Amino acid sequence: MMDPAERALLEDTIRAALADAGTSADTVLAGLGWLEMLDTEPRDAVDIVFETLGATNRAATALDDVLAGALGRKPGPDLAVLLPPFGAWDPPAHISDGHARALGLATARVATARNLLIVGHTGSGPVAATVPVASIDVCAVRGIDPDAGFHTVRVDHSPVVDQVGDPAAWEAAVALGRRATARQIAGATRAMLSLARTHALERVQFGRPIASFQAVRHRLANTLLAIEALEATLAAAGDEPNPLTAALAKATAGYAARTVATNCQQVLAGIGFTTDHPFHRFLKRTMVLEGLFGSGEEITLAIGRELIAERRVPTLIEL
Amino acid sequence: MAEAGGLAIADFRAALHRWLDTHHDDLAPAYSPPGTLDEQIAQMQRVKSLLFGADWMRYGWPERVGGLGGSPMLRTELGAALAARDLTDPGLFSLIEVLAPTLIDFAAPALAAVVVPRLLSGQEMWCQGFSEPGTGSDLAALACRAVPDGDADTASTWVITGQKVWTSLAQYSDRCVLLARTGAAESRHRGITAFFVDMDTPGITVSPLEMINGVREFAEVFFDDVAVPADRILGEVNGGWSVAMSILPYERSSCFWQRIAYLYRRLEQLVEVAGDDDRSAAVVGDAFVQLHALRARSRATQHRLASGATLGAETSIDKVLVATAEQATYDAVRRLLPGAVEIDDGTAAAAWRAEYLYSRAATIYGGTAEVQRNIIARRLLDLGGGE
Repeated sequence: MMDPAERALLEDTIRAALADAGTSADTVLAGLGWLEMLDTEPRDAVDIVFETLGATNRAATALDDVLAGALGRKPGPDLAVLLPPFGAWDPPAHISDGHARALGLATARVATARNLLIVGHTGSGPVAATVPVASIDVCAVRGIDPDAGFHTVRVDHSPVVDQVGDPAAWEAAVALGRRATARQIAGATRAMLSLARTHALERVQFGRPIASFQAVRHRLANTLLAIEALEATLAAAGDEPNPLTAALAKATAGYAARTVATNCQQVLAGIGFTTDHPFHRFLKRTMVLEGLFGSGEEITLAIGRELIAERRVPTLIEL
Repeated sequence: MAEAGGLAIADFRAALHRWLDTHHDDLAPAYSPPGTLDEQIAQMQRVKSLLFGADWMRYGWPERVGGLGGSPMLRTELGAALAARDLTDPGLFSLIEVLAPTLIDFAAPALAAVVVPRLLSGQEMWCQGFSEPGTGSDLAALACRAVPDGDADTASTWVITGQKVWTSLAQYSDRCVLLARTGAAESRHRGITAFFVDMDTPGITVSPLEMINGVREFAEVFFDDVAVPADRILGEVNGGWSVAMSILPYERSSCFWQRIAYLYRRLEQLVEVAGDDDRSAAVVGDAFVQLHALRARSRATQHRLASGATLGAETSIDKVLVATAEQATYDAVRRLLPGAVEIDDGTAAAAWRAEYLYSRAATIYGGTAEVQRNIIARRLLDLGGGE
């Protein structure tokens, strides 16, 4: 792992490079050696890149590389990965007789990549395979946040190649996907807090900054509490990487996104309700990110079912 | 064994749990929980005595007070293990963490060497006399007065008059770490001195208060011309505020970790009997998500403390998270076990009821949730002065 000074330097470098709106985020990341970083320092690479994407509201397709790596494939711009439908996390495809059917989402990479990596159910456990992008239906999503770059994907009887069965791989990919998207949400929530804090200090009503009113201060305190809780679970998921710590981080990210957005939007009041102010971009992006690999509520429900089935509450992390 | 490194702590934890497994029958309470407060106190002192005799109670404490040295995280592990096994109440047991370090850091070394081992081994109980009727969240406003018998620099005796309240276990205590006003009435935090007072000194009256759950854990303590030797001053005259503040890192690390271990155990007890349905799953899952975030936060805080960092305002985050998660855990009990808290007269329900009611104080004691949010706003978010 990098030391804190190295991490801070890298984060500053990436953040500064991403500030250039004229260059695509993917081009920026490629120029900074994203794939090499992902290979040699995977934890730091994911933490820093996704935090920064969240904080700058830029859209990249780095998630495809993270998932491809977790599924044992060599990542790169020619390989997109099929994401589950919004809110879901089961393997999104069904594979039989050398052909696949699937409905799901993909990042903007699917518009330019040659192949799509899919994970699907078969009669005997999930397998990963690729299908040619030329054989599938792809449609750009507008939705609440067109700039996020997501696409819907429909695979209907596409021929699959490179079929590999590995039941644990999908679980590992979901865990990494959850950590990456939770980290991106963390970056976005920090940005929302910063916007709301600045507004509270500058906006004067009744003759003084609204930051002096306790009701406003407590909203911002609750915002920081939610973010700190999220960041603690992300650190725990990095120290003890397993599907449950990642699920807990993503669940916490879901709640943090809602708490932060609600409180910051209320503090920003009128200006936060306009597209003149950047708040709306972060709000909309976190609403979309929350649905990737499961919302806070859905993951919480699944975890609760697991605890009750096992009749056990695991401590997961120790001193 | 006594090193702070991760491996050594893991070894310590494993050896401790093996020992606790082997000695379960000796350590387990003779009553069925919750038991009376008298029973709980007797159990705690008995457990401390056994643990001190077997050295477990000595790890993480300095050698000059009868300890075996090593990272304070070792004693945190001990407290968490006891809480997770329901051998002692963590709220009562972890009072050690807010009492012994004060003596170690601020008492004359000879005094600390004599009295701290008595606290650790269960021979003595101590209490903390900070809060007063007029001093809730605003500790610096305390009014209980200590006056030197003669000149402040040379007096051999100080005389204390006033009242304390919310003093946990005062009626069981042999000693009290007391904060008293030694400066002018308006001197706030600059005019406070800490004393180590023997509770059998003439002029002290203890009057237990019955809490909302029927337990008489707290007391009012009245001081009426109580003479205390000058060598029982902890730290400097008028230096009591720094004595009080020195407790915060222990309270917000070790005590919290023990409380968290106990909440995991309680949630597990709920999960053992919860219905196999989605509503139960959502409630249990929600409490677990909160407990995990809290545990992750507290772990990071303790690693920062162990690496030499000074803990400060950022522990207000830990404080709010622990209070919120505790209340969420008992709210889950109330939602999933209808009537257990309200109308069930069985033994298990009595424990849930007592703990449910106690959990309501989590957002009040140790600085209210509102005070913590004020600190977060001013110190962590740098929002400037508030209204």
